[in-house]
Amino acid sequence: MAEIKVFGYTDKLSVKPGDNLDFHVSADGTDTADAQLVRIIHGDEHPNGPGYMDEKIESEINGKWKVKKQFTQLGSFLKAKDPNNKLAIDGDFTIFGYVNSSTPHTGSHQWIFCRWDNKTNEGFGIGINKDGYFELVVGDGKEVDYLVSELPVIKKVWYFVAATFNYKSGEASLYQEGVVNRYNSLIGKVVPYDYRSHTQTTFRFKQKNNPTTPFIVGGAIDDHELRGKFVSGTFAGKVDRHGVCKKVLSRKELDKICAGELPDKESIVAYWDTTKGYSEKGINNTVIDIGPNKLNSVGYNHPVRAMTGWNWSGKNDSFRLSPNEYGGIDFHPDAITDAGWEVTKSMTIPENLKSGIYAVRLRAGNGTGLGEEYIVFFVRPKTPKSKICFLVPTASYLAYANEKLSFEAQIIQPMTGQPPTISDIDVEQYKNPEFGLSTYDSYADGAGVCFTSYKRPILNMRPKYRTSGMGITWQFPADLSITGWLEHHYKDYDIVTDEDLHKEGLDAIKPYKCVITGTHPEYTSEKMLDAMEDYVSQGGRFIYMGGNGFYWVVGFYEDEPWCMEVRKLDAGMRAWAAKPGEYYMQTTGERGGLWRSRGRAPQKFAGVGFIAEGFDTAEPLRKMPDAWHRTVSWITEGVDGEIIGDHGLAYGGAAGVELDRYDLSLGTPPHTKIISSSGGHSDNYVLVTEELLYAYAGLVGSLDYRIRADMTYFTAPNDGAVFSTGSIAYGQALPSNNFNNSASTVLKNVVDAFIKDGKLPGGMWTLEEKQWK
Amino acid sequence: MSDIKTKKRKTWKNPLAVWGAKGGNHEVPTPEWKNPHQIWRDTKAFKVPTTKIGRFHYEYKSSNHGEKIWNRLRWWPTRRTILWTQGVYNRKSLKPEKIRKDKRPIFWFLSLLALAIMPFILPDGFKNSLLTAGGIFGIYASINLCWTLVIGTAGIFSLATYAIVGMSAFLTTWLSINLGLPWWMLPMIGMFVGLAFGVIIALPALRLDGFYYGLLTLGLNELCRVFITTSHAFGAASGGLYGADTFVDDNWAPMTQTLVQYYSGFALLIAALFLFRFVDGKRLGRILKLAPEKKEAFAEASGVNYKRARVTVFLISSIALGFIGGFYAAYYRGSAFDIFSFHTVIMGLAMITIGGIGRADGAVAGTLIIVVLDRVLVELGPYRYIIIGLIMMFTILFLKNGLFGIRKQFRDWRDKKKGEARSSRLERGGEMLPEQATEMDNKDEIYRKRYDKMQREFLKTLICDEIIEEHKQKPLGQHSEALERVCYYFRRGAMNDKYVVKCEVPFKKYKIMALSGVRGRSPRLVEDKIYDTVEAAYHGLFLRRIQDLMEA
Repeated sequence: MAEIKVFGYTDKLSVKPGDNLDFHVSADGTDTADAQLVRIIHGDEHPNGPGYMDEKIESEINGKWKVKKQFTQLGSFLKAKDPNNKLAIDGDFTIFGYVNSSTPHTGSHQWIFCRWDNKTNEGFGIGINKDGYFELVVGDGKEVDYLVSELPVIKKVWYFVAATFNYKSGEASLYQEGVVNRYNSLIGKVVPYDYRSHTQTTFRFKQKNNPTTPFIVGGAIDDHELRGKFVSGTFAGKVDRHGVCKKVLSRKELDKICAGELPDKESIVAYWDTTKGYSEKGINNTVIDIGPNKLNSVGYNHPVRAMTGWNWSGKNDSFRLSPNEYGGIDFHPDAITDAGWEVTKSMTIPENLKSGIYAVRLRAGNGTGLGEEYIVFFVRPKTPKSKICFLVPTASYLAYANEKLSFEAQIIQPMTGQPPTISDIDVEQYKNPEFGLSTYDSYADGAGVCFTSYKRPILNMRPKYRTSGMGITWQFPADLSITGWLEHHYKDYDIVTDEDLHKEGLDAIKPYKCVITGTHPEYTSEKMLDAMEDYVSQGGRFIYMGGNGFYWVVGFYEDEPWCMEVRKLDAGMRAWAAKPGEYYMQTTGERGGLWRSRGRAPQKFAGVGFIAEGFDTAEPLRKMPDAWHRTVSWITEGVDGEIIGDHGLAYGGAAGVELDRYDLSLGTPPHTKIISSSGGHSDNYVLVTEELLYAYAGLVGSLDYRIRADMTYFTAPNDGAVFSTGSIAYGQALPSNNFNNSASTVLKNVVDAFIKDGKLPGGMWTLEEKQWK
Repeated sequence: MSDIKTKKRKTWKNPLAVWGAKGGNHEVPTPEWKNPHQIWRDTKAFKVPTTKIGRFHYEYKSSNHGEKIWNRLRWWPTRRTILWTQGVYNRKSLKPEKIRKDKRPIFWFLSLLALAIMPFILPDGFKNSLLTAGGIFGIYASINLCWTLVIGTAGIFSLATYAIVGMSAFLTTWLSINLGLPWWMLPMIGMFVGLAFGVIIALPALRLDGFYYGLLTLGLNELCRVFITTSHAFGAASGGLYGADTFVDDNWAPMTQTLVQYYSGFALLIAALFLFRFVDGKRLGRILKLAPEKKEAFAEASGVNYKRARVTVFLISSIALGFIGGFYAAYYRGSAFDIFSFHTVIMGLAMITIGGIGRADGAVAGTLIIVVLDRVLVELGPYRYIIIGLIMMFTILFLKNGLFGIRKQFRDWRDKKKGEARSSRLERGGEMLPEQATEMDNKDEIYRKRYDKMQREFLKTLICDEIIEEHKQKPLGQHSEALERVCYYFRRGAMNDKYVVKCEVPFKKYKIMALSGVRGRSPRLVEDKIYDTVEAAYHGLFLRRIQDLMEA
C-alpha cells in the first residue's frame, strides 16, 4: 500500500469574515481525510519553549473530507488563442522564430513552436530533438515525418530558426542561423562555431490537424487517462519574435526575417511580437499577435518576460529604454505558479471568527508524518478592533516557499556552519517537482527562480516545521513565537498580511496603535514600504521584530496577488543573480534588487539594516550607554542587569541568525538611540555582500566590529516611533520561561507604551545635558 | 578513532571568550600549528610518469554545408537518411564535421556487389566449382538468416530448422513427381508445409525453454530423418528423392546452368536479407528487443506481449524455411537424406555461431566461411572438419559474439585495460592525470580536483583526538583553527553523498543520511544508528566525514 500523504493550499491567504475560501487538496493512498479547523497560537516545538499550541474551532468544515490525487501542470509555455483554428494549416506553411536554448541536450524532445499533439502524433511544429538538434516534425496521426538540422544547438546562444513545408510536393526545409552579437549570448564571436544549417528533404507524410489541438510555444498538448489533457515536451530557454505563414517562404525572405524584418503581410497567419505591450509598468502575460488574426497567446506558469532578446545591444539595461531589444521570453520546464487543483472544500469565513492565524488540520491514515497537513490561512477582522496589529510577512513566506537549499546549494553548509537537519517533509518536497521552487532555488536549466506563488502547497509554511538548513524555525513557524507572545500577554491583536498592505496601502494598518512585524520581513513591495513609512510618519508606532527586513524589491500583478516576482541583482546576500540587462520587473516595471540600491535602505525606515548572518550560534544583547538616558530608559525597565535575551529557541540567544545594524551613512534617523547591542558573534557570522567594496580577510564576527545586532529606537512625527530588535532570533527568544524573560520584558515595555494614547514616555527629557561627571 | 594519535599539544584561545563565549570553550587543547601552504610547495609533479596524449586526425571527415543547402537523402521508401550522417562539432577544435553513424550499408553494398559480379571475375579453372559452391552458399545463408531470426530475434533455441527445410523439400518433390507440379509451385507449397511444421514446433516453445527445447527439436529432426529414410515413398532405397521439376533446363550449356543456379541462390539470399530486415528491424524485432533474456517478466509487466511476438517471428521464419525447402527441391530436383543429418545441423550451427548469433552479417559471413571450407577446399579432405571444429572452438572460447562481435569485444577489452591502467596510476581522490583530463569538458573541475587533493593532504595532518573531542563538546560555534579548517572543508563538499542529519522525531531521534545531489532523488540512509540529540548526530556525522577524509 502506498504511503498516505495529504497536501493542500487555499486560493487566498488573507480573508475576512464573509469571504469565501477554497481548499485544494491532493492525497495519496487515501480517499478521506479528517479536517479540523484550528487557530494556531505557537508553532515551535523546542523543549525550551511552551511547545505547539492551538485552539480547536467549531466549524461546519470539520469532519471527513473526500480527497483524491490531483495532478499539476509543470513548465511554463504560451498557448495561442485561436478559436477559429486559423493555425490548423492544411497546406503550405512556414514557422519561424528566434530561439535561445538553455539546455538543448536533455535527452528528451522539447517543443518550441508547434501545433502538435504528443498523444496522437498529429500536427506540425519545430522542436529540439533528444540529441539536441532543431527538428521540423509533421504528423498525420499514424505516421510522423521529420527533418533534422545539420549541427547541434549550442546552449545559451541566439538562433533564428525557420521551417517550411510544401504540402503538395512534400518538400520540407529547415533554416538555422546563429544571430550571436557581442552581448546577447553566453559566448561571443571568438568561438569558432559555425551555427549555420540549411537542410531539406522530401517528406513522405503530411500534417493532419486536429481541431482541438492548441498552438503552443514551449510544449505540446498531451493526454493521460487519469489526468486528462496536459502539456508535455516543455522547453527550457528563451524565444523572441516568432510566427507562422501560410506559404513556403523563400530563402531570401527568411534571410530578411532573420535580420529582423517582418514577413510579407499577405502570408502572415500569426506574428507574435514579443516586444509589444511594454509600458512603464511592465508587461503582462499576453503575447500580442500583430498579424491579421490577432491570435494573442497567453502564458501559463508565468513564462519570464522583460528578458533580453536576440537583438539586445548591451547599451540599455531595461525594457523601458528599448522595448524593441527585450523580446526575450524565458521558459522553464519546472516552473509552476498555479497548481490548478480542483476545489476540495469551500468555506465562508464566519462572522464571529476572531482575527488570527488559522489552519485546517488534515489527518489521514495514522495522522502523523506526511499524513498530517496544516493548510494555513490568515483571518483579518472585518473592522479593526484591536490596538495591536501583527503584520504577517506573507511576501517573505512566498519567497522561501518550498526552498531546497539543504539538498542542492553547496553554500548552505558553509553559510549555516552546520549540517542540515532534514525531515520527511523536506524529502517529500524535494522528491516532488509539483510543489515547485522558491526564489532561493534555480530551475534545472540554471536560471534563478523569479516567480513564486501560494497556489500550491507550501510545505514550510506550517506550524512545527523546522527549516532544514539551520535546524530552527524560520519565517511562518518562527513568527508564531511572536503571536504566542501576544496571545500570552495581550490576547487581543489583529492580523494583517503583506498582501493586504500591498492591496490597501496605509488603510490596512492605519487604525492600529502599534504594528508589529514578523521575524524576517525581507521581501517588500513599494506599496507595502510606502504604507509602512506613511504609517510611521503619520504617528504610527512600529515594531520591527526581525532581522534582514525590507530588503528585496518585489512586485505583483494587481489581479494575481498569489504570485510574486523578485529579481536578485547587484549586491545583497542572494541565491542567484539576474542575467545582464534583466533587472526590471515585468509585473511593475520597477528595478528589482535591493531597496538599498534604490535609495531606500532599511535603515531609513527602521533605523537598522542587514549587516551579517550566521546560523551556528546566537548571543545576547547588552545594554548600550544610551539605554540609561531617560528618553529611552523605560524600554529596559525591569531588566535585571545589562544582558537582554541570553536565551531563546534559536541557538539560545536573542541576537542571532541574521543581524541588523545602525548606520547613519545609510540613513538611520540621526536621533536614533542604540538601546542594546550584541557582540562576540562567531566567525561564521560574515559581513553581508552589499557592504563589501573590497573583499579582505577578517570580515567575520571575531574581527569586524560591525557584525552585531543593534536594538534601536527613534521617534517620528505626530508621536510616531519605531523600535527595532535588530535580529531574527529575538522573536524566538520571547517564548523562553513561558514568555517571562528579559527579551519579553523589553518588548512588553515597548508595546505597552506604544498602545497607550497620547505622548510616548521619555519625550520630555530632551534638553541638552549639563553634567558634573 | 583510536588510530588517530594525539599530536603535539598546544592551546587555542577562543577570541570570543571575553564576550563570554557560550559552551565554555574558552581554551581548548589543539595540535601544533602547521602551514597549509607547505603542501603546495612540496608538490612539484605527478607521482606517476606522464606521457603526451592525443590522437592525430588522420581520418577524412567532410566539413559542414554552411550556407549551402544540404539535401538529406533518404533510403527509399523509408525516412532514414543515408548512412545516418550527422553534423557534429569537434570537441577540440569546435569545427563542424560530419560523422556517419551507420556505415553498414557501405559494407553490405560492396559485399553484395562482389557476389553479383563474381561470375565475371573468377578465373575459368575454378569457375564451375566456385559458382556451384556460391549457389549452395546462397541457399544456406538464406536458411541461416531465418534460423538467426528464430534463435537471435525470437530467442527460441530451435534445432529443427533443417528439418523444416527438409520436410518441405521432400514433400514438394514427392508432390512434383506424383502430381506433376511445375517448379514454381514448389516454394509456394513449401510455405504451407513450413507453416504446418512451424505450428507443431512452436507449441512446445511456449512451455519449454533453452536446453530442453533444443533437445526436443533435435529429436524432432531425428524423427523426420528416420521417417523419411525408412519410407519407401520418399525413396528409402536411393539415398534421397529426386525427380522434381526444376527451373534449370538440362539442355542448357553446363555453364549456363551453373550461372542460373548461382544467381537464383543469390536472389534467394537477397530475399532472405529483406525478410530479416523487415522482421528484426521493425515492430516485431523491437518488441523482442524490449524483452531480452531474463528480463521477460519485466517486459511483460510493462505491457509488452513478447510471447506473441516470439511465436509470430517463429512462424514467419518457418514459412520462409518452407519456401526455401521448396526452392531447394526445385533447385536440386529433389533432396538427399543428408539434409536431416546431425552433420547438417552441426554445420548450420557452426555457420551462425562463427559470425555471431543474432546478426544478419554474422549469419551470412559464417555461412561463407563454412561453405568455402566445406565445399571449396575439398582437397583438404577430412581435415576440413578439424579446421571447422577448431574455428568453432576458437569462437566459443575467445569471442563473445562471433566475428562480428569482435569490434565491441575489442572496445570492451580496451576499456578494461584502461581501467586497470588507471587504477594502478591514480591515487584515490587524487588529481586528474593527463589521460583523464581529455574526458572533462569543464577544465575548472580539473583544477578543483587538484585543490581538493592538496587541501585534504593538509587537513589529514590536523586530525587528532583533540579536535575530535573539541567537536564533541561543541559541534557548532567558534572552533579552534585546526577544527574550523576541517569543518570548513567538510561544509563546502560537493552535494552528492554529502551527509545530512535526518530528524525522525524532533528533539528525540536523529539519523544520518547522504544526499543524492540529483534534484528529485531521495537521500539515502547511511547507517541505522539512532542519536538522541541533534548535537550527538552532528558529531556522529563529523566522525563519518573524518573517516572518509582519512580513507581517501
